[in-house]
Amino acid sequence: MDKTVKKQNIFVKTGNFFKKKFADIKAFFKRAGRETYASMALMGMGQILNGQYIKGLVFFLLEAAFVAYFATVGVADFIGFFTLGTVKGDAWLGIEGDDSVIMLLRGIVAWFAIAILVVLYFANLKDANKYAEIKGLKAMPSFKDDLTTLLNKNFYKVALILPIVGVLVFNVFPIVFMILIAFTNYGTVVPPELVDWSVKDSFGKLVALGELSQTFFKILGWNLLWAVVSTFANYFLGLGLALLYNKKCVKGKAIWRAFPILAYAVPGFITLLAFKFMFSNGGPINNMIVSNGGQIVDFLGVNSKWMARGIGFFVNAWLSVPSIMLLATGILTNINGDLYEAAKIDGANKLVQFRKITLPFVIFSTTPVLISQFIGNFNNFGVFYFLRSGMVSDGYVAASDTDLLINWLYRLSIDNNYYAVGAAISLIIFIITSVLSLIVYVRSSSYKKEDTFR
Amino acid sequence: MKKLVAMIIVLILAVSLCVSLVACEKEKGIVIHVLENDTAKKEGYLDVLLAAFNDKYKDQNVTAVDANMDEYSDLEKDGPYGFGPDVLYQANDILMKYVEGKHILPINIQQLDCYKQVPQNAWDAYKATVDGKTVYCGVPVNVQQPLLYYRKDMLPANWQTEYDKNSNGIPDMVEFWTEMYAYSKNIREQDSSKFGFALNLTNEYFNSGFLFSYGAYVFGDNNTNDKDIGMNVGNAKLGGKIIWDLAGIMDLKCADDSFTNSRTTMLAQGTIFANICTPDITSQFLKELAAEYKKQGLSEAEAVKKANENLVITTLPKLPKDGDITVRQDVTDESLWIAQKTMGGINGYGISSYAKDREWSLKFVEFATSAEMIAKRQEMLGVVPARADVVALSDNEATKITFSNLDDGTLVVMPSISSVRTIWSPISSCFKTIATDGCKDKKFTINDIQSELDKMVQNIKNQLTILQ
Repeated sequence: MDKTVKKQNIFVKTGNFFKKKFADIKAFFKRAGRETYASMALMGMGQILNGQYIKGLVFFLLEAAFVAYFATVGVADFIGFFTLGTVKGDAWLGIEGDDSVIMLLRGIVAWFAIAILVVLYFANLKDANKYAEIKGLKAMPSFKDDLTTLLNKNFYKVALILPIVGVLVFNVFPIVFMILIAFTNYGTVVPPELVDWSVKDSFGKLVALGELSQTFFKILGWNLLWAVVSTFANYFLGLGLALLYNKKCVKGKAIWRAFPILAYAVPGFITLLAFKFMFSNGGPINNMIVSNGGQIVDFLGVNSKWMARGIGFFVNAWLSVPSIMLLATGILTNINGDLYEAAKIDGANKLVQFRKITLPFVIFSTTPVLISQFIGNFNNFGVFYFLRSGMVSDGYVAASDTDLLINWLYRLSIDNNYYAVGAAISLIIFIITSVLSLIVYVRSSSYKKEDTFR
Repeated sequence: MKKLVAMIIVLILAVSLCVSLVACEKEKGIVIHVLENDTAKKEGYLDVLLAAFNDKYKDQNVTAVDANMDEYSDLEKDGPYGFGPDVLYQANDILMKYVEGKHILPINIQQLDCYKQVPQNAWDAYKATVDGKTVYCGVPVNVQQPLLYYRKDMLPANWQTEYDKNSNGIPDMVEFWTEMYAYSKNIREQDSSKFGFALNLTNEYFNSGFLFSYGAYVFGDNNTNDKDIGMNVGNAKLGGKIIWDLAGIMDLKCADDSFTNSRTTMLAQGTIFANICTPDITSQFLKELAAEYKKQGLSEAEAVKKANENLVITTLPKLPKDGDITVRQDVTDESLWIAQKTMGGINGYGISSYAKDREWSLKFVEFATSAEMIAKRQEMLGVVPARADVVALSDNEATKITFSNLDDGTLVVMPSISSVRTIWSPISSCFKTIATDGCKDKKFTINDIQSELDKMVQNIKNQLTILQ
């Protein structure tokens, strides 16, 4: 019952939101004077009519620049986004042909340009309208005044423009590109062949083809298990170590603490290669076993599925427990000692103290870290790439039974050029990790009770 | 007025700068960017080659330079955008994967000086059918083939009486796999920490030959048809059984890269007697062995001399026709034996389709594959040349063996079609499974081996048909 009420609320809310927007727009047109309509016809005209010549000129030049862009390449790029090329190249004959991947990239740029133009256009309308309304009532701010407000009152806009552009160019753009690749047949065909839009060559293959979807679900299951188990194991091991080093009875803490830090300080892939060597059939561990009269243990061999997975957990713990330990050590110093004393007086034993004071406090402060650890483990490429790569296991297509999705993705797209399938998998990884971490974060106390420990 | 003058001056400066830049560009003339492999760079062969070419054509306004790129940079990704090399040196499988996208040019090989000197098998590695026409897209330079490395001073003292039944002065264990098996078993029984023959049995390149010898092939129609995968056909299972048997005379170290990582040290220390390897590792073997001799008290010169004497590089032993290496057979009866086929590669030059000057790039390739330069290459890098005239002049035994193997088809050149990239890990995994069982559980029957081979073929097919 409670739920339906909530749902209704959401619908009513969105309905009201749109109603309000619609009313706003209506009111806007009612108020709009000739300046606004002038700006509608040609960006900057309204501002010029308002007497803000420089601002008007800037708007006008921006529009001119966009028109020039669309007239020269923009429209062609935009069309190219849909066709992904029509002329096949032939390097032998010197026919350049269309490069589908580049056309896709340029098509995305054209979309971005359109989006920016739309935003600018409405800013221009709003601006023309705003100043038309105050014209005659107040003094018009000059262009210089506008610039001054940009440095003072609106400084956040100036300060944020660079990061936003950076995020757009270096994050959003490649992500959009990658997402779109997942809807093409890139990889099944490679330039100079022409790539086409297609869902059946990426998601279709992943879901419809028996062997491939079996591999996918097997790897997904193991990947989830891996991420959950290794995140929790590392977390509690790190916390345990921190608690241990915090104990008064431990002597020479600095020395003990140095060991995990040393493990942390060595670059990850060197550690991984070292472990691969340690566990190899001719490695030191097996040498010891043999010299003590045992048989060689095939730690990372073809039939050692769970042993190799276990070694993966161990090596991953080796790599990430120290960082958790450091973090927890820092957080533990923040706990008020009085709490423990009060608890002791109330008769709480050590375990209860840990459960009721230490753990909530540490978890509260480290939930975001826990989430990032989870995502990091979910996408932990290094461990199994270094320990056990280049193997195909029974019942898997181009993957071994220790490979995580990210390893499989690498194998498909980098080793074998199946880009579209790779992109489809990475999109699925992205959805899984983002949904899981959002849920965990929103439900966690560090989000719900933000002020508890302040 | 002042402003106008300033503007004019700026304009003049800008224009002259542009003109000088253009002029500068023109003065440089034709530049050919050559991508060579790292060994050739390190050993200084590339410098010699470039210097010789530039010297010959110094008044032609053309210079060849090092492309200065990663050895394995991808022409498919760099070339179309103008960043690739003009001439590139690669193994045949890498070079030929560019043909499908027409990233490398077909070469009119008949007009080349080396055409008649290079065996047809080597040319075939660079043959492709494009748009219904047969074209050749590379010029062979050297041949790569696995060879047997063993230590003469580790032969049993009585080998002439015990292990030379055909009395030809060559120890039987390096001539016949059955003898090698028996001798290795003998060594293991005396001292379990020592090995006779030892090899990483998961290595797809070295071990595929066992399957080839009994009728297997990678792709049908002379390695061009990826619909037909033949690693499990004919008596290929006998080859698989040999891998299984060989695992029995080693330990689990054969099922990962332990033997690869420490082969030079182990051979030098006498832990292993024989190993299969490609000639590019020879210098490392010699260095380690010499170092070992030096430790035993020899002088530098003596140690090097002794290492050169005792490290023998030879063709692979013969296989029994019936595929059973565990039973010693009459080595004097020729009819019982077959030559072991091995997988090999042909390295050569190709010309990028994006080369700024195709004619001069071809001229460079012609120059670099001339008898003189190939001989120089062999001398500096110790590789096996693909030219008959250069081989004829050589006094190196291994070179002659490899070259004749190429000629008679004992050397199976690895496929050149792009699908070849999918075969390696399935083959290696299959060998790994067989080798693991062969030295641990020993449960496999010949039928199990066959089903492992079938699985391997299925894995390759899955990658090729499902994803393509």
